[in-house]
Amino acid sequence: MLDFFQAVSDGLLFGATYALIGIGFTLVFGVMHKLNLAYAAASIGAAYAGLLILQLGAGAPPWAVFLCAFLGGGVIGWLVYLTCFHFIPLSHQLAPLMSTVGMLLLIDEIIVHVTAGMPQNYPAMFDDVMLRAGGFTLRGDLLLVAGVSVLCMIGLLALLYRTRLGLATRAVSQQPVAAQLCGIRVARINALTFIITGLLGGIAGALIGASVGALSPLLTAPLTVKGLIVTVIGGLGSIPGAIVAGLLVGAFENVFQQFRGVTERDLYVMLLLFAFLVFRPGGLFAPKS
Amino acid sequence: MDFYYGLAQTVGIHTLLGLSAYIVLLTGQVTMAQAAFFAIGAYAAGMLTVLAGWPIVPALGAGALLGAATAGAVGFPALRVKGLMLVVATLAFGEGVRLFFFNFDYQVAKGEIRVGPLGGEGFRQIRYFQENGWSTGEVMLFVWVFVILAMAVLWWFDRSRYGAVLRAVGEDELAAQSVGVNLTAVKVSAMAVGGAVAGVGGGLYAHYTTHIEHANFNVLLATFAIAYPIVGGLKNVFGTLVAVIFVQAILIEGLRFLGDWRNLLFGALIVAAMNLRPQGFLGGRRA
Repeated sequence: MLDFFQAVSDGLLFGATYALIGIGFTLVFGVMHKLNLAYAAASIGAAYAGLLILQLGAGAPPWAVFLCAFLGGGVIGWLVYLTCFHFIPLSHQLAPLMSTVGMLLLIDEIIVHVTAGMPQNYPAMFDDVMLRAGGFTLRGDLLLVAGVSVLCMIGLLALLYRTRLGLATRAVSQQPVAAQLCGIRVARINALTFIITGLLGGIAGALIGASVGALSPLLTAPLTVKGLIVTVIGGLGSIPGAIVAGLLVGAFENVFQQFRGVTERDLYVMLLLFAFLVFRPGGLFAPKS
Repeated sequence: MDFYYGLAQTVGIHTLLGLSAYIVLLTGQVTMAQAAFFAIGAYAAGMLTVLAGWPIVPALGAGALLGAATAGAVGFPALRVKGLMLVVATLAFGEGVRLFFFNFDYQVAKGEIRVGPLGGEGFRQIRYFQENGWSTGEVMLFVWVFVILAMAVLWWFDRSRYGAVLRAVGEDELAAQSVGVNLTAVKVSAMAVGGAVAGVGGGLYAHYTTHIEHANFNVLLATFAIAYPIVGGLKNVFGTLVAVIFVQAILIEGLRFLGDWRNLLFGALIVAAMNLRPQGFLGGRRA
């Protein structure tokens, strides 16, 4: 029983990163009604960008790496918007889907090219901290992951619901034409959405790197799939849904990894998704249409 | 010369994969499950020729039927959702099939060695062509017979009433439904036809490479399947062929002299192609 709770708590803490990735997918979908398949790859790319600061000064502390990944994520997010969305007319549904796939492959290959395909060690914080209660332990680095993720989510919700920029973003997501008539510059809001999700992705990538201990371009494909699953289970365009679904998927997969092994783990995550598609196709928090 | 025969086989098999996604895309649905039907066709045809000793053509037919049946079965529940939900549902199904083959063992002794699929090790020794003494050129011709057949059938579908119905559903579901088109029947039949084409492609692929494993049928292959018709355009079947030649022959083989830089250029050129021709190479005004 203790094993079970241990697996659930570790999974919940790591699930916070899935929640962040899910928020990135869901936010772009909510605002532009388009899928940005390059998002998870961009997040991992941003985490690699964080490592660049170690090239400048070998002794840079871990928080500087995290900050650099955060900012790098914003820049990559903007570049993705510019190359994959800005110049393609909105009426073409399939073209941006494909251009983001191209971007995904490009980011992967840039990473492979720069690192010569070697996994890179990632600095961790608090990885020597262990909170114990009887046989139950909480890993310090996973607590950090969850803590930073929660801070990011609070920041994002504050931005969306307490600022004029957030108001404009929500307006564009509901009625792009009406928003434009009110003098909101839609293209600018779209670009800002990509930058904001990019910043979140950068943090998520760095947190994943820190809790796994190493970064590899092999992380991008599973992370893309998990992020999409989280988005659908949570309900498209719903931020609270993405958060809850991220934690749910994290805990769920960790439990099955514990008891059924790593090769079967993802099979159960897919079954969970199918259960949702059949019984609750709108997701946990389906936005009212 | 064998190199060019090999390249022509790859182009042919990927054209079948692209065509299987093409017919589904005509109805406006984006499916990421084509790699799964491709895998099912590959494993089914391979097991039939190796384990049951069937000749190749009936084995391919069985693979196609199985692919079509699976696609139809997936189509019914999955097509209740659309847009992004369908992308994710089919993606999850594709991954589920891949993980199934990852854990799938079925080996029998044949002479001194054991043959058949073996989980993560994959399915080795699918040597039908070699055992029957086919040359590379003959295999290439055999593959292209199926490619031309599939293109002809889909071309004919496109020109017929059925193609008009498919495109009507793709343009505007509501309008199509209001003139009496049965949406479910159209979408599921398109999925089934796509599944059959992918099944044949998978069967040919298994016999051409002689060794398949679950990792061959990953998300990337599913992405390529929809990439070909989208990059080539949905105007007609030749768009898919042009895109396969663009990707497989020019980007993957033709740029080999660039060494490492080839892979970098690959993604960038797809991004550039979509920016310059959002409707695809041969696409009409509308995507």
